[in-house]
Amino acid sequence: MAGAARFLDPAIVARLGTIDLKARTIVEGFLTGLHRSPYKGFSVEFAEYRQYLPGDDLATLDWKVYARSDRHFVKKYEEETNLTCHLLIDVSGSMGYASGEVTKLQYASYLTGALAYLMHRQRDSFGLIAFDDSISALLPASARSGHLRAILLALERLEIGARTNVAKPLNDLAAAVRKRGMVVLISDLLDDPANVLDGLKHFRYRGTDVIVFHVLDPFELKFPYEHAARFRDMETAEEVMAVPDSIRQDYIEKMQNLIACYRRELGLVGIDYCQLDTSQPLELGLMAYLMTRRRVL
Amino acid sequence: MSGLSFLSPLFLIGAIAAAVPILLHLFHRKTEVVIDFPAVSLLKRAPVQQHRRRRLRELLLLALRVAALLLLAVSFARPYFAGAAAPDSLPLTVIAVDTSMSMSAPGQMDRARAAATRAAAAAPASHALALIGFGDAAAVVVEPTTDRSAITSAIAQLSANASGTRFRTALARSSEIIGTREGHVVIVSDLQQSGWESNDDGGLPDGVSVEVIGVPPPAGNLAVTSAERRDRRVVASIQNYGNVEVRAPVRLIAAGKEIARAEVTMAPRGAGDVELTGSLPAGGDVEVRVDDAIGYQADNARKVLLDSTPALAIAVVVADPTGSTGGLYVERALKVAGNGREFDVDVRDGRQIVKWTEAERSRMAAMFVLGTRTLDRNGRQVIRNYLNGGGQVLLAMGPDVDPGTLGDVLGTQLAFDETPVRSAGATMIASDGRHPIFRPFLNPSGALGDVQVEQHRRLKDQAGRIVLARFSGGDAALTEQAVGQGRLIVFTSDLDNEWSRFPLNPAFVPFAVETTRYLTKSRRPQQGTAAVDLRESNPAATTVAEFTNAIERTTRAGLLQAKNAARDLEDRQRWWQIGLVIMLVALAGEALVGRRAT
Repeated sequence: MAGAARFLDPAIVARLGTIDLKARTIVEGFLTGLHRSPYKGFSVEFAEYRQYLPGDDLATLDWKVYARSDRHFVKKYEEETNLTCHLLIDVSGSMGYASGEVTKLQYASYLTGALAYLMHRQRDSFGLIAFDDSISALLPASARSGHLRAILLALERLEIGARTNVAKPLNDLAAAVRKRGMVVLISDLLDDPANVLDGLKHFRYRGTDVIVFHVLDPFELKFPYEHAARFRDMETAEEVMAVPDSIRQDYIEKMQNLIACYRRELGLVGIDYCQLDTSQPLELGLMAYLMTRRRVL
Repeated sequence: MSGLSFLSPLFLIGAIAAAVPILLHLFHRKTEVVIDFPAVSLLKRAPVQQHRRRRLRELLLLALRVAALLLLAVSFARPYFAGAAAPDSLPLTVIAVDTSMSMSAPGQMDRARAAATRAAAAAPASHALALIGFGDAAAVVVEPTTDRSAITSAIAQLSANASGTRFRTALARSSEIIGTREGHVVIVSDLQQSGWESNDDGGLPDGVSVEVIGVPPPAGNLAVTSAERRDRRVVASIQNYGNVEVRAPVRLIAAGKEIARAEVTMAPRGAGDVELTGSLPAGGDVEVRVDDAIGYQADNARKVLLDSTPALAIAVVVADPTGSTGGLYVERALKVAGNGREFDVDVRDGRQIVKWTEAERSRMAAMFVLGTRTLDRNGRQVIRNYLNGGGQVLLAMGPDVDPGTLGDVLGTQLAFDETPVRSAGATMIASDGRHPIFRPFLNPSGALGDVQVEQHRRLKDQAGRIVLARFSGGDAALTEQAVGQGRLIVFTSDLDNEWSRFPLNPAFVPFAVETTRYLTKSRRPQQGTAAVDLRESNPAATTVAEFTNAIERTTRAGLLQAKNAARDLEDRQRWWQIGLVIMLVALAGEALVGRRAT
């Protein structure tokens, strides 16, 4: 796992102080790593020279280099965008689950904070919406200095809410967003897939790019429980008595079918889908975001 | 109610272990883990079925584990079925009701029946009940039963008779019925003092509780204690057992008609003679009767025989053609009885008995067979016909008895060893001292023990044969059995002073006389109420405390025997092996179900 060792374990991130520090640690480390990574071209700060090719804008030609070396090089300036990004984080009851040290909500908030930090560095405009069955926190998109701090503070104050209803906040937001931009949804998507897909399709129909981070706990994926127990739903309090050995295979198949369903249906409408589990490094989420942003821009 | 019993019931305590899996089951249920889980909706469909199936498996497992532990405990307790007579295994309450003559005062039996009925109703529900009526002897009126209505109806049928009172007999019978189980005895009686006077044995085992219900005796009693004919008169003695002077009429009755009457005055606890003069009938009997309104009724009358009693014909068959000594001792012994007038003894050699006329045979009250070697076929047929036709025969199996033809003589096979057993100095012991033959030996009881025999024949066990006495070695000495319509008493040694010195023993004469009287009982004139035991007329009674203290306590001698019988029964049935096999099957099933459940 040499590759994974380059990234920060979410459990280690959780032990860091404020979410501000967490976000900065994640992003700076991620960006530092990118210099040695195959994803070099995605850096937003790295400026480079390359030989002039016919068709290049002459305004980008570096005349000083030409004067010194008598060769034509094009100078790539730091990127400047007008991307507006909406970070949607699910705070429903099911997001409070943790088989290890980090709950799904914590993991999602670290990822959201890191993304916000990254966007701030890119001088993108970004906002935050927290929801369960309704919107519980809303910070409109902005690129102002100080907005990052407000976002991080809001993330730090997030509390577990009630039942998941992804469709409603998505519909509300879709109606409000008029400018082409990007929506990042971070959720465990334990809702009716049809409702989730309907909500997300609204954005795509408006030309908004969407990336979905499907955050799950490793235990949700593998169901490694050994002894018979009464399983209580974290949102509905419904209880089911089960012998794990007897139902594990059935459960895993259902979970994989759910993931495959999201991956397939979201891919069909051009929505990027990234499934993460809370034991995986947060950098994977950043990487997925940058790939999507590259396509957008 | 099942007849299931256990040889080692203490092992049943181990059945408590069956509670362990039940407690574990309950404990496990209480501590069932509850896990908060987000994707319960994905668990829904499968687990509901699993849960039901699991509960069934859990219950099945629990049942198998409990069954295995119970079977283990029950198997170690060595179960056996004591048979269909379920009340035999239940705790028993024996209600013994005095039905002797001293209970015949007006209203006395009514009170006794009421007390017995109350005792039956008050008996613990877990007890079986048995009913005994006792006087001289104790008869089981109702064997142990759980049917209380049968007891109640039997109590209602009880009535006083003319017998004496023997409390020890009743106690011994109660003890026999109770055996080794838990028991309680209720005695309903007038607690008459004379009931303890008989020198017999009997008590209650340790641990058997006793309740004594006293039925008050009458305030006084008049009894005709004797009556005899003196020429044209009848002289009767009347006893007053009360504490006040009594003047009462005494009547002489013949064929239901009063032929004489007199008044008699008796001092408290005193007696008086009265002479009754009238025209006595030529034959038959007359009755002397005293009017007694409050005392016992059975002793108010006494019959006087006016005829002289004819001697009973007794035949003695010997194998002594010379007629020198055969049957001599029996003849001499019987000649003594009744001043020589009670029996008419005819001793004959076996070859002579065919000469008996039909009239002589029918007059014969009993026959002693002391030798058969001289009997021819006709002679054997005479004895066989006599016995099977209702005759009374005593057979002494001495050296003059031919074992080979004995079956032909009697018309039945006796089953005995033909070779005599040498038993130097063996003494004779009565199996039941209350039998009429042995009554003369009750006091002193050792008289019969002085009898010694040198040889005897060994009878084998045979159904329907009652052993009346045994030799000290355990072999039967005197037995009684029915043959055809007659009765056969067998003395397994000799009565001619050849194999034993018994004929020379002082016990021989009373033994021979009482045996003959017992055999000729049906031919003897009935004396009616004259047979009343005079001691029974005295209403003096003990207190309940005195009575209770007089009861002897015995160890349960039959306990070991009962245990051995139970062990034999359990050995034959071997339910413990079946229990262990079923337990192993239960454990195998538990392992199988348990493996699938985990």
